[in-house]
Amino acid sequence: MNDKYLSVTAITRYLKAKFETDANLRLVFLKGEISNIKYHTTGHIYFSIKDENSKINAIMFSSSAKKLLFKPIDGSKVLVTGRISIYEATGGYQIYVDEMIEDGIGNLYIAFEKLKQDLSKEGLFDQKYKKQIPKIPNRIGVVTAPTGAAIKDILSTIKRRYPICEVILFPSLVQGDGAKDDIVRNIKKAEEYNLDTLIVGRGGGSIEDLWPFNEECVARAIFDCKVPVISAVGHEIDFTIADYVADMRAPTPTGAAEMAVPNITDLINNINNLKIRLNEAINSRINYQKLYLDGIKGSYAIKNPLIMFENKKQKLDILLDNLNKLLIKKYENSKQKLELLKKDYILNNPKILYKEKANKLSNLIEKLELINPLGVLKRGYSLTYQDNKVISSVKNIKKDSNILIKLYDGSIETKVIDIKK
Amino acid sequence: MEKKEKEVKFEDKIKELETIVSELESGDIDLDSSIEKYTKAMNLVKECDEKLKNVEEKVNKIVTENGSLENFEVE
Repeated sequence: MNDKYLSVTAITRYLKAKFETDANLRLVFLKGEISNIKYHTTGHIYFSIKDENSKINAIMFSSSAKKLLFKPIDGSKVLVTGRISIYEATGGYQIYVDEMIEDGIGNLYIAFEKLKQDLSKEGLFDQKYKKQIPKIPNRIGVVTAPTGAAIKDILSTIKRRYPICEVILFPSLVQGDGAKDDIVRNIKKAEEYNLDTLIVGRGGGSIEDLWPFNEECVARAIFDCKVPVISAVGHEIDFTIADYVADMRAPTPTGAAEMAVPNITDLINNINNLKIRLNEAINSRINYQKLYLDGIKGSYAIKNPLIMFENKKQKLDILLDNLNKLLIKKYENSKQKLELLKKDYILNNPKILYKEKANKLSNLIEKLELINPLGVLKRGYSLTYQDNKVISSVKNIKKDSNILIKLYDGSIETKVIDIKK
Repeated sequence: MEKKEKEVKFEDKIKELETIVSELESGDIDLDSSIEKYTKAMNLVKECDEKLKNVEEKVNKIVTENGSLENFEVE
């Protein structure tokens, strides 16, 4: 009776065997969101993978977990590869995960991020290594496929902008197996062709298509290239390792061609502008000089040289006047000074003063003597007195009366003999 | 290498031209030097013009397996 009842272990083992012999469960690709994740100290990771309706337990052993390129957390959307079996102890089925990558971004993305990080650390993206792209090149190289949009766009853009530039194409595989090695080989070859600039790229495509430009060997070839490199991979939104390591990144092949060559019309316009500016500058320089010269020629002085002379003459007169005034003033001053000195001198030399007085006195005496009546007698004139009175007329003089004649040195008493009138 | 030097010269010519124009525009140099510089600048203009206008369009080349160059037209 009891024989028909199975032990739990037995049924579990049976079920487990069922699971493990089912080919579909031995290699399962599963897509979902992580929840309840637990990192065990042993390195194993326990978690669940779920979607809107269902959930499955999962375990990733440390040997597999070590290879993870990202750190899964609750909510991470993942793509996992593994097998499904039963854990006997709980009887629960679960997926034993061998590989896990982030969904939506993908494995390639992780590899990309890792290489980007490594090369960045190594300094391959450093600004100091970026070479200047020549502004006006003579010869440009292009490493890309000989067919397709990229080379077409590059050539038509260069032809339109700067047709005098030489373009050399280095035909290369740009996707699939062997593309990375071919790109590297062509970059190295391009260095031998005296190029001013090298464009390396391809047109748009899937991330797998663009992948060769995310390869380390391509990145290093670009870094080592002695010619300045413009990268031009895919569309504006596509960023590749090549873009980071190149001397300049172009959003598209057309963009690369625009960066590589100048617009010949701009150059010609620029030169024409310079020519115009040059002519204007020299004309204005000459005009300025002419105006300056005209100014000199038209000046009052040049037109009326005599006026200038008159002016000078007038100035000279004024100067002479001033000089005269100055001299006179000086003379007056000196004279005054002399007087003062003289006065001082006289005061200090009284003898001089005395002599002067003596002279004055003798002068006075001379003058007195001139008017002294006795003096007159000396010159032969005489005075006639009668009765002690001077007589100056014959009137009242009687005959035979006595008169006294006074001479210079004495007197004579005489008688009047006759009177004549 | 010769080509490269020529190319640098062209850029330098434009640079020199720009310098002379600025100098002349500043008016800080005397008349004789002005005319001298003007003459030099006009020669540069002529040279640049010739380079840009008289060079015929270049034919695109493709590098073959053995490294030689052949004309190339994109189809």
